[in-house]
Amino acid sequence: MFPILGKKKYSPTIKMAASSSAGRVLTLCKQFQNVFRISSSINTQHCSTTLIKYQPRLYREKSPLAALSWYSPASSVGQCRALHTTINRRGLEEFFDLPENWGETNVKSGAPWTAKQLRTKSNEDLHKLWYVLLKEKNLLLTLEQEARRQRVQMPSPERSRKVERSMIRLETVVKERETALRLLQTGQEKARPGAWRRNVFGYVYWYRFKEYAIPWHMNRRYKRKRFFTPKFVQPHIRLRIEKHLREKARKATLEKKTQSKLKEKFPRVKVSAS
Amino acid sequence: MIRLGNPQLRIFRPNWFLTLVRPGKEQPPDTVQFRIPMEMTKCDVKNYLEKIYNVPVGAVRTRIQFGSNKKRNHLNQKVKQPDYKVAYVQLAQGQTFTFPDIFPEKERMPTEGSMEEMQEKFMEDEKQRQKLDPRRGGVTEWFGL
Repeated sequence: MFPILGKKKYSPTIKMAASSSAGRVLTLCKQFQNVFRISSSINTQHCSTTLIKYQPRLYREKSPLAALSWYSPASSVGQCRALHTTINRRGLEEFFDLPENWGETNVKSGAPWTAKQLRTKSNEDLHKLWYVLLKEKNLLLTLEQEARRQRVQMPSPERSRKVERSMIRLETVVKERETALRLLQTGQEKARPGAWRRNVFGYVYWYRFKEYAIPWHMNRRYKRKRFFTPKFVQPHIRLRIEKHLREKARKATLEKKTQSKLKEKFPRVKVSAS
Repeated sequence: MIRLGNPQLRIFRPNWFLTLVRPGKEQPPDTVQFRIPMEMTKCDVKNYLEKIYNVPVGAVRTRIQFGSNKKRNHLNQKVKQPDYKVAYVQLAQGQTFTFPDIFPEKERMPTEGSMEEMQEKFMEDEKQRQKLDPRRGGVTEWFGL
């Protein structure tokens, strides 16, 4: 493997070079390109050929913001070469997989991103990764729809679920960071303002504020929504509470009876005190 | 309301996914058909394709496809197919797009020792047994002695 000094790059697919075999194995990647080091000029020459060879296959793995040079030398090793990547000019082709994978029944993909891995990334990296995942998801959706149209099975459907999960985890990580920042700067726990309100049925719930163009006292539809409980609802609330308590009591007695029966059948089994 | 000069909402991590579909009816060569989420507008589609995919977009037309509520399940309840929005995007700069054939027929050699190979062998044997006697010219047993 030819180590090349490279800047990290995100892609939904893993690559490559390490596992290169004749076929192209695109696997969902969770790690970005590793940092290689160029040791000698011979290697650099060799590197160039390998890079050129892999270029066409790798363009797919470029992040959308591929204006960043992928292999920009970032360290103090003297023999590194600045390699320039092509700007991603493939517009609508990005809705489809690489042409080699058309017609395959199994396309390899790697593991989804975990929240732990995502927490180590910077905000810019997460932003880029979101778009990479978005494009991958669009690709998989078009593939699924076309497969349904042609009445053929979609190759490796687990990719959609992996991408979905990665996106959810990314969202949670970003939300965590935002809440932390907000708490430090303003002391607000929630991003969207809200209040505890009682609705017509007697339930108290967290009402989230919505943006309106006019104040509430001029909003007829808002005024029809009553945030108080009328007096005639009190008996119904009482009945509800009674029902709930009865159900709780029933559950408790059932639990006690089952435990006593088990104790009778198996007297020597130790029951943990919960 | 999206108008020139109105403040525009910036979305940092858009949660909208487009699906490129093969057009059911014949479309002009520069038109691409997408299924988009109901919340997207024509301007949204244009910005999305231009910013994320770097595709020059000319015009976008949208319509909402009603998903049928006519089919019934085994409990005789009506089952609703989801509604979806369709966008017809015309590319600028004279570009054309044809929907490619994503599932071409490929020669698949079954891997060694796998189920597929065994199944294929079995099927071949079965077919061989079904074939009539070649010595009699493939003619049925009804003829002759």
